[in-house]
Amino acid sequence: MNYPAAVFASLALLLLLAFAWLALSGTRRKAEVVGNERRDRDYPHFSHLPQIKQALVNSDFMYLTDQGYPALAERIRKERRRIALSYLACLRIEFEKLLQLARMVAVMSPNVAVAQEIQGLRLNLEFSYRYHLIYFRLVSGVAPLEAIGSLSNLVSGLTIRLETAMSELGERAALGAELLPHNGGGLDAGG
Amino acid sequence: MNLPPRVEILWAASFVVQLALCGIILSFRHFRRLPFFTTYVCLNLCQVLFLYSIYRSHAQSSHVALLAGWWSEAITLLARVFATIEILHLVLSAYRGIWGLAWRLLGGTSAVVLVCVVLAYRGNPGQALMSADRGYNLIFATALISCMALIRYYLIRVDNAYKVLLAGFCFYACVKILLNTVLYDFLYHQPSRYPFIWQILGVAPYVIVLIVWSAALLRPLPEKQKQQSLPTYVYGRISPEINLQLQAINRQLMNFFKIEEPQQ
Repeated sequence: MNYPAAVFASLALLLLLAFAWLALSGTRRKAEVVGNERRDRDYPHFSHLPQIKQALVNSDFMYLTDQGYPALAERIRKERRRIALSYLACLRIEFEKLLQLARMVAVMSPNVAVAQEIQGLRLNLEFSYRYHLIYFRLVSGVAPLEAIGSLSNLVSGLTIRLETAMSELGERAALGAELLPHNGGGLDAGG
Repeated sequence: MNLPPRVEILWAASFVVQLALCGIILSFRHFRRLPFFTTYVCLNLCQVLFLYSIYRSHAQSSHVALLAGWWSEAITLLARVFATIEILHLVLSAYRGIWGLAWRLLGGTSAVVLVCVVLAYRGNPGQALMSADRGYNLIFATALISCMALIRYYLIRVDNAYKVLLAGFCFYACVKILLNTVLYDFLYHQPSRYPFIWQILGVAPYVIVLIVWSAALLRPLPEKQKQQSLPTYVYGRISPEINLQLQAINRQLMNFFKIEEPQQ
C-alpha cells in the first residue's frame, strides 16, 4: 500500500473510532453525572472548607515527626493524601459545573462567539491535563498539600461570583432551567 | 446480464429495502419533515433501477457504464449533503447560537479537509474519480463527526430517529473511504475479482444502513420544540466571566507545585 493510501486508510479508521466513541459515550456520561451527584452529597466540600484547609496544614505532621511518632506521622500523611485526592476530585466537579453552566448559557443564547467557545474548550482540555498531572503526583506523593487550600479558595470565590451573576438574570434564568433535563443526554439522550 | 448472481441478489435486496424505506417515509408522512432525505432515498432507488438497466446491456467496465455510474453517484452524493444538513438543522435549529457555530464548523472543517485531499492527490488521471469520491467521503465524514462532537459537547438532546440517520450517513461514509482506499489498492489489478468484491462490499453496508434507518423511522418523528432563549447581552456578560475564572483555575493548577511552603 502506498503512503497516501495508508494515510487515508488510517484516517478512515480514526473517523470510525471517533464515530463509535460519540455513539457509545452517551451512556458513560450519564453514569458520570449520576456519580458526580452522589459524590456531591458525600463531600459538601465548600461548606467544610475551613476544616479541609486545617487538615491540609503541614505543621501537625512536622510536629509529630519532631516528637518522635513516625508511625503516626505516616498514618496522618496517608490520611491527608486521601483527603487531598478527594478534595481535588471535588474541585473537578466544581470546574465541570461551571463548564456546564457556560454550555447552558451558550445553548440558550441566540448568538454565540466562536472565540469564547474555543477558549472554553481549550481551558477544559488544559484543566483535564493539569488535573490528571496533579492527581498522579499526589498519588506518587510528591505534591505540596498546602497548594490545594489556595486552589479551593479560588474555586469557591468563582462559584459565589457566578451565582451572583446568574441571579441577575431573574425570570429568564428560571426559564432556562427548563433546559436542564436535556443536559444528561448528548447524542445518546434520545434513545 | 453482466452482474454475478450473488451481486444481483444483493442489488435486489437493496432495492427491496429502499422500497420499504420509501413506503415507511410515505406512510408515516416523514417526507413533510424530511423532504431532502426523502429525495435522497428516492434518488438512490432510481439509481439502482437506472444502473441495473445499464449493466444489463453494457459491461461494468465499459465507458457508458462508468459514465452512468459516476454521474448518478454524483447526483446522489449531492442529495446526501442536503439530507444531512436538513437533519442537522432539525436537531440544532432550536439552538440558534449553536446552529450558527455548527455552520461555521461545517464550513471550516470541509475547507481544511478539502485542501488536505487536494494536496494528497498525486495527479494520476486514472484515479481521479476514485480520489474525488474518497475525498468527498472524507470531507463529509469529518464534517459530520465534528458536528456530532459539537452536539455532544453542548449536551444537546437528539431524538433517536435523527441520531440513527446521522450515524448511518457517518458509518457509510467511513466504510466508503476504506473501500476506496484499501480495496482499490489491493484488488484493482485483479480485474476478475475487483468488480465482484467491490459490488458486494459497497452495497452490503448500505443495505445494513437502510435496514437500521427503516427501523428508526417506524414511528412518528418528534414535534419541533421552541426553546427559550436568553437575551443576547447575557451571553456577552456571563461567558467571558466564566472563561476568565476557568483560566484563573488553570493558572492556579499550573502553579500547583510552585507554591512555597509556609514559614515555620
